[in-house]
Amino acid sequence: MKGYIISDKDYQSRIYTRLWELVTANLTEKEFQIEHREIGRDELAFCKGCFGCWIKQPGECTIKDSMAEINSRYMNSDVVVYLSPVIFGQFSANLKSAIDRWLPNYLPFFMTRPDGSTMHPPRYLTYPKQIIIGYGEAVSKEDAQLFVDITKKHRRNIEVLFFNGCDSDCTSFLNQIKLERVGGQL
Amino acid sequence: MSMSNKIVLINGSPKINEESVSGYLVSLLSDRIGTDGINKIIINVRQSLTRHQTLSDFEVISKADAIVIVFPLYIFCLPAMLTRFLEDYYHYYSETGKIAGNQKIYPIVNCGFPEAEINGEAVHVVQSFSRHINAEYRFGILIGSGGMLIGAKGAPFMKKAMIKLQNAFDEIKSDSLNNAHQNLEDVLININFPRWLYFFMGDRGFIHDAHKNGLKKKDMLRKPYRANEPS
Repeated sequence: MKGYIISDKDYQSRIYTRLWELVTANLTEKEFQIEHREIGRDELAFCKGCFGCWIKQPGECTIKDSMAEINSRYMNSDVVVYLSPVIFGQFSANLKSAIDRWLPNYLPFFMTRPDGSTMHPPRYLTYPKQIIIGYGEAVSKEDAQLFVDITKKHRRNIEVLFFNGCDSDCTSFLNQIKLERVGGQL
Repeated sequence: MSMSNKIVLINGSPKINEESVSGYLVSLLSDRIGTDGINKIIINVRQSLTRHQTLSDFEVISKADAIVIVFPLYIFCLPAMLTRFLEDYYHYYSETGKIAGNQKIYPIVNCGFPEAEINGEAVHVVQSFSRHINAEYRFGILIGSGGMLIGAKGAPFMKKAMIKLQNAFDEIKSDSLNNAHQNLEDVLININFPRWLYFFMGDRGFIHDAHKNGLKKKDMLRKPYRANEPS
């Protein structure tokens, strides 16, 4: 089983180090082979909203940088864990660059989710189980909740936690998740 | 009422050369608020970052009475490019402590999906940003089917939405010019257009654009990272 961890190179605080230890220990104990990708400032270009990944080079971003490698590793892992600083209640810019450029992995067309909202259909039959963990010192309750809402209100099959430094919360969160590939319905 | 309020309009579209809905909204808003008693400055985030002029732009933003942040929704929150700009502005603010008193902030968010309320969390992110820089979040404008503002410009079914948008722009102008601090509701703008037809036309539009690039519909379904997966 392959686990892929994507984290922010620029926010390596004490709470991040502890979170990293907990996540890697948990995955190692479950016999995952872990690959790690840190994203620093200016390492990835910003998505420019060109839709080239849908209408020019389907399934691949047209910007030539290391995002192609990240998307390939992402799509071929069993579990992907994003460790993101919580900035204004959302992802940091470094992590958001990778998340914005995840668009090629879905199709351009429109469909309706069970809750009546709109989504794009999956390009692939199965996807890695996605886990998003936000962290940060002095993050307000509002911002921590917003970080969870951004994903959980709009996505099924993605698990989100705000890590406030409590080891047992993180471990029990990870232990509740079935760590295997899932269908692509958003 | 203060004289010559300074309003900064921030265009947060990451697009490079293509026409963007955010850029269109900035020009509509700029025209609507006019120049009477207002000193308007437009900042394009992409240009600011690529031309390395963020520091001078931050100086301008820090002296504004009101800031309008216009952007598209990317994966249910702010595009990474705008996130970078606001993160850097926050560091500038934290280090210099420079900011005009009682700054008012207004986000305008548009998304490609028909439901305006999908923009809700992005507006909350701007609320959080406002708290972090000790500014006052006033209200946001949340727009669904954003592409239709350009694609169906002038169509009769757009009229109601455009009037609502203009009224919201007027509200930004009047609120930014006075000393009111009462709570204001966000404005949701949904286009009165059949959902099934929006989906149909959107899908056709993507297929048409792919055809122009020499691709057939089946090419659009490629699976480059899992080539052996069945269709």
